[in-house]
Amino acid sequence: MAARILSLSKRGFNFEVFMWAFTRFTVIAMYGLMLVGILGGLSLSAQTGANFGDILYWAFFPNLAENPLGQVWMTIVAKLMVIAFVLSACGHGVHGVLEILDDYFTSPTARRWSRNFIIAYAVIASLIAMYVIWTR
Amino acid sequence: MGLNRNVSLEAGLGYKGGGPYWTYILHRIGGSALFIFFTIYILALVGVQAANGILANWVFQLIFLPLMLFHAINGLRITILDLSPKLIEHYRTAINIEWVAYILVVAFALFVVLRNAFGG
Repeated sequence: MAARILSLSKRGFNFEVFMWAFTRFTVIAMYGLMLVGILGGLSLSAQTGANFGDILYWAFFPNLAENPLGQVWMTIVAKLMVIAFVLSACGHGVHGVLEILDDYFTSPTARRWSRNFIIAYAVIASLIAMYVIWTR
Repeated sequence: MGLNRNVSLEAGLGYKGGGPYWTYILHRIGGSALFIFFTIYILALVGVQAANGILANWVFQLIFLPLMLFHAINGLRITILDLSPKLIEHYRTAINIEWVAYILVVAFALFVVLRNAFGG
């Protein structure tokens, strides 16, 4: 199969192209943060003797597991990283959920409301998450 | 624009798109799982006990972790192919590599979940 490559200039710069790029850039940001997190987890696992699996489990379910890294969670760098991840996830998720909703809500009114709802949801969830992460 | 298309579930499941089609479907299911997880996670952050209970449930973890990990790994493949269009010719190979990586990662994740659930 021959690959079809369309240059950016031929794609134009409309909302869809912008959101395509935005979704890719936010996901790259998340992979970068995950990579830093995994490398940091491996490094801290080596330094503290904490089990790497426990670190990952705590990363996915921080409210359930005891922090195997002790004080590390409280550092400003860790908080900023988690906030950056939450914001990237929200930005990425807004467009993803919107695409799915657009497939099922087909009338213009329903699409407009689903769009308003998901954007409002993302803003509110981001603000709550940032506040809790920063103040905890 | 196909605003009035009407494809039944049966027709959708019967579509013979093969591996790429199923990765597309699983990617959507994984994304929806992430949305649900994120909502429960936010509720848990603000101190809703029921949300903590759901997150603590190992059955929930057993169902949601594989879905979320598939979304992450499949998304990585999509991003790599999007940013390196010449690799699109090898997309089936990329999907096979993705499945191998996924099985290894999800096996480790499920091992950790089950070990935490049963205290092994």
